[in-house]
Amino acid sequence: MNEQTMELGHGVKALAGRLIPYFLAVAASFVAAGIFIAAMGFDVPKAYATILFTSFRTPNGFVQTLLKFVPLLLQALAFTVPLAAGKFNIGGEGQLIVGAIGATAVGILFAGLPLPLLLPLVILAGILFGGLWAAIPAWLLYRFGINEILTTVMMNFVSFSLIDYVATKIWRDPAAGHPMTVPIGAGGELPLLIARPPLNTGILLALFVAFVVYVYANRTPGGYELVATGANPRASRVYGIDVRKMFLLSLIIGGALAGLSGAIEVAGVQHRLIEGLQSNFLQMGIIIGLIARGNVLAVPFVAFFIAVLEVGASALQRTMMIPVEMVFIVEALVLLFVLLSDLVRRR
Amino acid sequence: VGQFEIQIVNFARLVMLALVPYVLAGQGTMLGGRTGLFSVSQEGVMLVGASVGFLGAYLYGSLVYGLLLAMLAGALFGLALAYFTTTLKMNQFVIGLALFFFGLGLSTLFYKFVIGVTLQPPLIPTLRDLPIPGLSQIPILGDIFFNQNWLVYFTILLSIFLYYLLYKTSFGLELRAVGENPRAADSLGVNVSLMRYATAIVGGMLMGLAGAYLPMVYTGTFTEGMVQGRGWIAIALTFFGGWSPHLILLGALFFAGVEVLALRVQVGGLGVPYQFLLMLPYIATILVMILAFKWIKAPAFLGQNYDRERRTLA
Repeated sequence: MNEQTMELGHGVKALAGRLIPYFLAVAASFVAAGIFIAAMGFDVPKAYATILFTSFRTPNGFVQTLLKFVPLLLQALAFTVPLAAGKFNIGGEGQLIVGAIGATAVGILFAGLPLPLLLPLVILAGILFGGLWAAIPAWLLYRFGINEILTTVMMNFVSFSLIDYVATKIWRDPAAGHPMTVPIGAGGELPLLIARPPLNTGILLALFVAFVVYVYANRTPGGYELVATGANPRASRVYGIDVRKMFLLSLIIGGALAGLSGAIEVAGVQHRLIEGLQSNFLQMGIIIGLIARGNVLAVPFVAFFIAVLEVGASALQRTMMIPVEMVFIVEALVLLFVLLSDLVRRR
Repeated sequence: VGQFEIQIVNFARLVMLALVPYVLAGQGTMLGGRTGLFSVSQEGVMLVGASVGFLGAYLYGSLVYGLLLAMLAGALFGLALAYFTTTLKMNQFVIGLALFFFGLGLSTLFYKFVIGVTLQPPLIPTLRDLPIPGLSQIPILGDIFFNQNWLVYFTILLSIFLYYLLYKTSFGLELRAVGENPRAADSLGVNVSLMRYATAIVGGMLMGLAGAYLPMVYTGTFTEGMVQGRGWIAIALTFFGGWSPHLILLGALFFAGVEVLALRVQVGGLGVPYQFLLMLPYIATILVMILAFKWIKAPAFLGQNYDRERRTLA
């Protein structure tokens, strides 16, 4: 008992110790970005206010932020789960696209089905296709020991052509100028949580999945083996864990999570397959996963923060003509400072 | 000369042209890897090279300025990689990814700040062919090898030079030793950190140059994501080439060949949807990796940081 209360007090202190470097990192990167913005001749306080508060000023801004948050959270988890096993999944983009293709295919082929049937099928197709797309590099790693960074990236490039093929050749919407498919059946659309501004129920799904991933990684034997593999593969092998199988599994789970994000983009946001729907979610997801240092519990919070930055950055481009890529630099700086703070603590 | 032969010569010429960015980025990767530094930021560094190279050439009206700026930018990325991994001992993959993102953002940011958003992209003149007197007159071979832009010659000569440096000099032996067994190299008086800094910086310069080649030879302008995976493919090429300069040059023939083939057949029209042809280079890369990982030995210390105060290597 005594030990537990001590642990609790220690836990609070540890949490504070963990959070302080984050705040310092964010502050430092804002200062650095501020210097850059000032040097370009822009109004720095106004830029800060825009980037931080756009999400909270209007209901529309907040809903925009939540809509960004969903794919970012899932992409970050798609990177974090394999990372926990010590593997780098850089293929979340392709897995999202192929998941979206799967979801769209089911949504179009079975367009007549009612919602209770079609919606689960659409979501499951996304998860399945994303998982299968990741299974290719995962198997190559398992069977031949091929570096997964390279193969997952290559699969992204393959998926760009695949989505182009589906959106221009198979189910092309002839009325649209930009390559996109015809809409999926109405039964495949995620119901709305809020009608105006429209927010779909994908966010509930994403949060639920994040919770499941947390439980899996922290409270189940399988998850324990996964984390152990990442922490020390050699010791895990001695202990009897099939390390290579854990690599395989972690990458496929990552692909399934990314595929789910694709299905939600289709079923919740676009209601069809549109070329470019993957946006830059992959890069953001990886940055989030790295900032969270692979901690599944921290991922949703970091993802929300990055979503706020992203929405703020779009506003920055609209109102102040500061290129949206600026936020990329800020995020990379946050990551760098977080990593550096790690180093300072180690000394 | 028959129509068919003309097509073959044309194809070979285009392959030699497409070879350059793969080889430059591959040699850059190889140099770092030989001292144990495994960079995964090639794509980002090449994008910055393409952006800065284009902007330099556009603003100063000289391709040489553009190339120098691109090399400088690449060197800075190499310096950052070396500092964070060799001095601060941070994870090479994580830093590599962070630098990749940095490059991704910076390349577009630079372009937007200098050029802004325009309807018509501004153009620079592309590199002219520089026929070598005498040699370019040789039938067939002259056209393929000696009637190209000077960066093609530079790339081939560089590969030969690197081969000589790595395998025929004591410096090359020391360099390779750092990537195989830094502790042994250290005990023999080789400055491990200095070697890593040097190869990272020179490697970065080559990657920057590889990026700048794209606007200067192909498009005449910078577009977002114009490297199109060549940086990542260069990593595969380096494995495929067994981390040896001469084999990287030869192996690049394959990747350049597939790239040209995908574009050529597309133009020719074969009934296959062009999307599947565009997938070719990436699928070919994956297939090549299967082969490469079966019989290629990478430097033993690849991807690991060396800490002379630690007792074990693992």
